[in-house]
Amino acid sequence: MTKQTRYFMAGSAAVIVAGLGVGLAAYYTGGFPSLSASRTGPAELAYVPADSPVVAYANVREVMNSSLRQQFKQSMPDRTDEGQREFQQRTGIDIERDIDYVVAAMAGPETQGEHDPNGLVVARGRFNTGLLETLARDHGGVVEEYKGKRLVTVSERRQDSGTPDDTDRRHHGAITLAFLEPGLVGIGSQAAIKSAIDAQLTAHSITSNDAMMELVSDIESGNNAWAVGRFDAIANQTHLPDEIRSRIPAVKTFAVMSHIDGGLTGTLRAETRDEQSAENLRQVVQGFLALGRMQAQSDPKVAAMLQSLQLSGSGTTVALSFAVPAEVFSLMGQAHRNGNQR
Amino acid sequence: MSERPLPAAPGYLASSLRVFDLSIGEMLWSRRTIFMVLIVAAPVLIALLIRAIDALSGGRAMQVDGIRMAGPAIFGMMIWIFYLRFTVPVLGVFYGTSLIADEVEDKTITYLFTRPIPRGAVLAGKYLAYMACTVFVVLPSVVLVYLLIAPLRGSLGGSFLDLVKDLLLLAIGLGAYGALFALVGSTFKRPLLIGLIFIFGWEQAALAFPGYLKKFTVAYYLQALVPHAMPSNSALSLIQGIFRDTPSFGMSLFWLAVIWGVCLAVAARMVERKEYVLEQ
Repeated sequence: MTKQTRYFMAGSAAVIVAGLGVGLAAYYTGGFPSLSASRTGPAELAYVPADSPVVAYANVREVMNSSLRQQFKQSMPDRTDEGQREFQQRTGIDIERDIDYVVAAMAGPETQGEHDPNGLVVARGRFNTGLLETLARDHGGVVEEYKGKRLVTVSERRQDSGTPDDTDRRHHGAITLAFLEPGLVGIGSQAAIKSAIDAQLTAHSITSNDAMMELVSDIESGNNAWAVGRFDAIANQTHLPDEIRSRIPAVKTFAVMSHIDGGLTGTLRAETRDEQSAENLRQVVQGFLALGRMQAQSDPKVAAMLQSLQLSGSGTTVALSFAVPAEVFSLMGQAHRNGNQR
Repeated sequence: MSERPLPAAPGYLASSLRVFDLSIGEMLWSRRTIFMVLIVAAPVLIALLIRAIDALSGGRAMQVDGIRMAGPAIFGMMIWIFYLRFTVPVLGVFYGTSLIADEVEDKTITYLFTRPIPRGAVLAGKYLAYMACTVFVVLPSVVLVYLLIAPLRGSLGGSFLDLVKDLLLLAIGLGAYGALFALVGSTFKRPLLIGLIFIFGWEQAALAFPGYLKKFTVAYYLQALVPHAMPSNSALSLIQGIFRDTPSFGMSLFWLAVIWGVCLAVAARMVERKEYVLEQ
């Protein structure tokens, strides 16, 4: 073999090794951010299918560590953490420490079952996958591989009323747990989980849906919980009667964002189809606020909460911001304690 | 005075490695390699172009039905269109058929056959040289395309496992097609024509019809290993997509191994037994 050939082969091998090395490093560190397009929202949005009408995010770690939560715990000392401890014993997950954040989504029309509306939750954190799988298997979970990801499906069997025969039993509430990446699990219906895996593999995720990503990019940084989506999806999901649905102003999209720390601050923003609808909605909300303030004069905690509500917005945007100070939660805690003593 | 004993002839493996060493340089620095470099450089140039267009248009140019195409999806499409459907079979045909046929055409096969090595080792050594030559040219091109395209509204980490699978399946594809066309090259008189008819005629037609005919192609098993969605970029691929049935992962690997093993074994046996008549 000539020197020239050796150099060529060494160069080629170096390119392959360098590419694999960069990819491997990115795989274990959760991926390098996009070079040209600015990334909006958490990287886990890559698992949310492009047609999902609602997507939400919560930074569980920040919420759990917030002084508001600590205050809550202190103001309700009678509330035991037994359920939480039992959950930790069974799953190995300490909700306060092991979950960093969750991304949730409502399934799109293609994934949604007729009688079984389903959602998807993707959680980032530290999980004992072996223990979770064993727990699922103990509850009759079926393990399968789907495009290189491990899925455990547990079907809750429920007996139909008045039909004791086993043949009349059918699968209800089947839930699938998927180990998507190291430190990343997905929970939802089997269809939703498979659709999430497909979305990530084919890159046909919500990040390619410009309309939804615009809503996500409008979320101000610093909010540790938010949800955005199409309002029609919510209206359809709640199966509102036609008379009520027709009276709801024509809201196109909505965004809810909040920051939980010393207190609770946030904004609820709605985008209507036209300016007239926005004006109508503003008047409706203004009316409810006035009514609430009149009613709440005798109740200081409700009055304090309503005082923080501010209606704003122009054009087709209607925004309602709120700031609930920690004192209001203290008052609520006090009322709860008084109620228990009685 | 006693005669010095002749040294023992080298074994099959040693002979193959000696032929590999001799052939790799010849193969790598031949005119055929210029053609190969052009083939594998095209996707890299297209990837660069995509990045430039995307950067200049702020991502608006890469849209399909109003949805922006993300890098991993474009990468998957490029693997299908450039590498799997074109580069791998074409390189298999051009290099595989020439392993023995070129030596016959150049009338240099006599020099190899008069060496004290098994004839089959000539084919094995040349096949190894073909694998090294194609793998070291095609795979770096795939890695460069991945580094350029995958971060586009996607992440390198998210597509890493796909890259590993792609590299492995392309190497498997080069191996299977190379073995098949090595057999064609050592058996028939016009192997290149037969090879081209096989990949652009038989395989394309068989994959487009329902039924069992597709089982007599390499592409049927190779395409089952691809981790990306099959693109429907032409009428033919749309029809192939409609009639596509995917064998299981294990079954695909098994049949690719069978094609590889049987073709190489038969090709080596062919070279051992066949009398190559050199045209004067």
